[in-house]
Amino acid sequence: MNDSGNDRNPRSQRDLAVHLDGITKRFPGVVANDDVDLRVERGSVHALLGENGAGKTTLMNVLYGLYEPTEGRVVVDGRERAFDRPRDAIDAGVGMIHQHFMLVDPMTVAENIAMGNEPRKWGGLAVDRDRIDREIADLCDRYGFDVDPSATIEELSVGAQQRVEILKALYRGADVLILDEPTAVLTPQEVEDLYGVLEELTEQGKTIIFITHKLGEAMHAADRITILRDGSSVGTVDPAGTTREDLAELMVGREVLLETGGEPVETGRPILEAENVVVEDDRGVELVSGIDLEVRAGEILGVAGVDGNGQSELIEAITGLQTPDAGRVSFDGTDVSAWSRRQRIEAGMAHIPEDRHEQGLVMPFDLVENAVLGSQRSPRFARGGRIDWAGVRDHAEDVIGTYDVRPPDADADAESFSGGNQQKFVVGRELERDPELVVATHPTRGVDIGSTEFIHERLLELRREGKAVLLVSSNLDEVRGLSDRLAVIYEGEFVDVTDPAAVTEEELGLLMAGEQPDDRSRERPASNPADGGER
Amino acid sequence: MSSGLSRRTVLGAVGALAVLWLVAGLAFPDSWAGALLSIAASPSTHTAMLRLAVPIALAAIGGIFAEKSGVINIGIEGLLIVSAFSSIIVTFWLGSGGSTLALSHHWWGFAVGVLASTLFALIFAVVCIDFKADQIIAGLAVWLIALGLAPFASRIVFDSPNTAGVGRFQNVTVPILSEIPLLGYLLFDTPPQVYIMLGAAAAGWYLLNRTAFGRWVVASGENPKALDTAGVDVRRVRYAAVLLSGIFAGLGGAGFALGQLGTFAGGGETAIGGRGFIAIATYLFANYHPIGALGGSFLFAGLEAMQIQLQNLGYAVPTELIRTIPYATVIVVLVFVGKTQLPEAAGEPYDGDEE
Repeated sequence: MNDSGNDRNPRSQRDLAVHLDGITKRFPGVVANDDVDLRVERGSVHALLGENGAGKTTLMNVLYGLYEPTEGRVVVDGRERAFDRPRDAIDAGVGMIHQHFMLVDPMTVAENIAMGNEPRKWGGLAVDRDRIDREIADLCDRYGFDVDPSATIEELSVGAQQRVEILKALYRGADVLILDEPTAVLTPQEVEDLYGVLEELTEQGKTIIFITHKLGEAMHAADRITILRDGSSVGTVDPAGTTREDLAELMVGREVLLETGGEPVETGRPILEAENVVVEDDRGVELVSGIDLEVRAGEILGVAGVDGNGQSELIEAITGLQTPDAGRVSFDGTDVSAWSRRQRIEAGMAHIPEDRHEQGLVMPFDLVENAVLGSQRSPRFARGGRIDWAGVRDHAEDVIGTYDVRPPDADADAESFSGGNQQKFVVGRELERDPELVVATHPTRGVDIGSTEFIHERLLELRREGKAVLLVSSNLDEVRGLSDRLAVIYEGEFVDVTDPAAVTEEELGLLMAGEQPDDRSRERPASNPADGGER
Repeated sequence: MSSGLSRRTVLGAVGALAVLWLVAGLAFPDSWAGALLSIAASPSTHTAMLRLAVPIALAAIGGIFAEKSGVINIGIEGLLIVSAFSSIIVTFWLGSGGSTLALSHHWWGFAVGVLASTLFALIFAVVCIDFKADQIIAGLAVWLIALGLAPFASRIVFDSPNTAGVGRFQNVTVPILSEIPLLGYLLFDTPPQVYIMLGAAAAGWYLLNRTAFGRWVVASGENPKALDTAGVDVRRVRYAAVLLSGIFAGLGGAGFALGQLGTFAGGGETAIGGRGFIAIATYLFANYHPIGALGGSFLFAGLEAMQIQLQNLGYAVPTELIRTIPYATVIVVLVFVGKTQLPEAAGEPYDGDEE
């Protein structure tokens, strides 16, 4: 915490907290960053916007000392630096809040914040825990945080955990904070809180760089936006002087259709019906408490909710990965409650799982092998107990081509692809099964804007063909844009089923947080239309 | 399983059985229950319990450090064997009873025993941490190597898997304190390895819970990446933790050999006889709490002490049956109480270059 008093003086335009000058980072066979310039003014929020694989995280890892740049200079506070490891960056006042929090769950907030920097007493024989508590209290006062240093991390909400991460960086004296996709795991309310925190931090002279692939966020929260595409910087803009369409075009390199949603389609017979589904965990706690739902042919039912409110268990009960403790699941008029997973797949149920690593792919298998998962017994690929590998390969290559999986190499192991490309492959495999019902959980998680557009288009196409789609997502744009009907799940129950057009994002956020939007908030004009539907 | 037994139910059942035994033993002193009660109450059982607890408690405390840091050291049985054997043989070479450089030969043997165990732990650490070998297999290898090496070396020196006797540590009596009724003779008139065990349990607890290093050990086992990004070298923390497990196990093995056995029998399971595995069961039972592990070792060593006393009285209780008790207890604890929480990243080599 080496804030000297004169930091408060008004600064000239040229006062750069961070200057990345001509950074090039090459990996064997790949140029992740190609001559990127980034100038970040002190006390500003600077967004780094780009699609998956555009090189945002690589660039920030260079700044944080995780990677050494192949070419170029890293200048922090006007001095050129060579960071060999994160420790060096931390010492120079650069802190990073990773997308996956770097916290130790069973340990306390105080222990996590001080980790690696513990003040000692008794000649180093003990950690001075009173001093840690005192310093955390000081930081909380200064930046308006409210955390209990003695709580363990696992007791905290995701938003609170993120604040602990920010405090951890501040505790280490960070003046420049890098946030990697900070809103990915937050509820809309928590996102608002985060914007408040960022504002407070910049007012106190801290500099924020945040990585995002969401246009709305960059427009809303940043003072400046630098757009990366294919490893190169394609421009730095002022959000006030630009539009979302311009930004999207810069990001993708072509014009992008931002509006989704389709013309109404005549719905047919119910394809999926669930009645009073109850799922308990090992300790008998109800995770899904008696949910009823119906998805008709030619309809997309959206389920919005913050992760961990029973979506996963509901989906597992429907797709046959878990036996519900009570209730009935019917598929196309037949009770399938007792059916195995295999029977359900064969009957025409496709499933885009929420976790592609755990459930969607076998990471050390190549894409050909992964392409046949779930179809290993279907007559299309299986000949008398043997698999027709040539046929599977054709299929895998079709999926790779259609869904733009990069690099287009069917023989590469699944783990060698980036997350977004893995996701595209899983989505492609499932949607090309010719299903009657698609159960899609976070179908575009981690996928860039161009491919997201394609996946959405494909889902809408299936709907037009008279298929049923159950779409679970924490991305409000997605569920609102695609769904014909929208259910909000909170603590294992549907708290509301509504017309997606009739509900504002604010109301949805409240519902997702378990609060009923009262009349007052309904009367309040919906927030600035330019913001609506961005996040 | 939705209706697990709570810890309270289990403790209640155990307590009720104990009360039943107490009542039966007092009412019918000539019965089995009475005989058991008099054995359980006898000072010689308590003294034996403390001494028999030494290898179990110290190995368990060592194992806690390794496992908390994310390296499951299933080879502590091997570390006990190595330290017990090398302490005896060094003492033998120096000539039992005398002294060199102001230290008795026993203490030189003791020091070499600890050193040998630490060296074995170092090899295990290199294999597991730097070469990312499977920890279970590497641990089994440490045990099997020790199991073969000790009797082999003994055969070369003594022409027999059993070493010659070298005598034992004398009791160290603390004046005044040893006069305290009931506890004095137990805690303050006892051989040095018992003091070491008691001190190590307290030191182990303090190190794990109150020092920065202890917190790093826990973080390294739960989320090594978090520790790494906080600027602490995970590799070094894990090395230190595994070496500590070697030191603690060495104190236990050498202390047991020189303080209790006075010789090393290398046949079969060797003189250590699975106490390292009981130690693993003990720390799991104690949920990685060093003081709890000390208590657990008293429980298991107490059962062993009682079994020996029963044998002396002519009751033949098979040792093998008594030996199963710690493992059975751990299964009961894990299945019904379910409080033991393995560190999240235990068993996984940490690859810091991943990103």
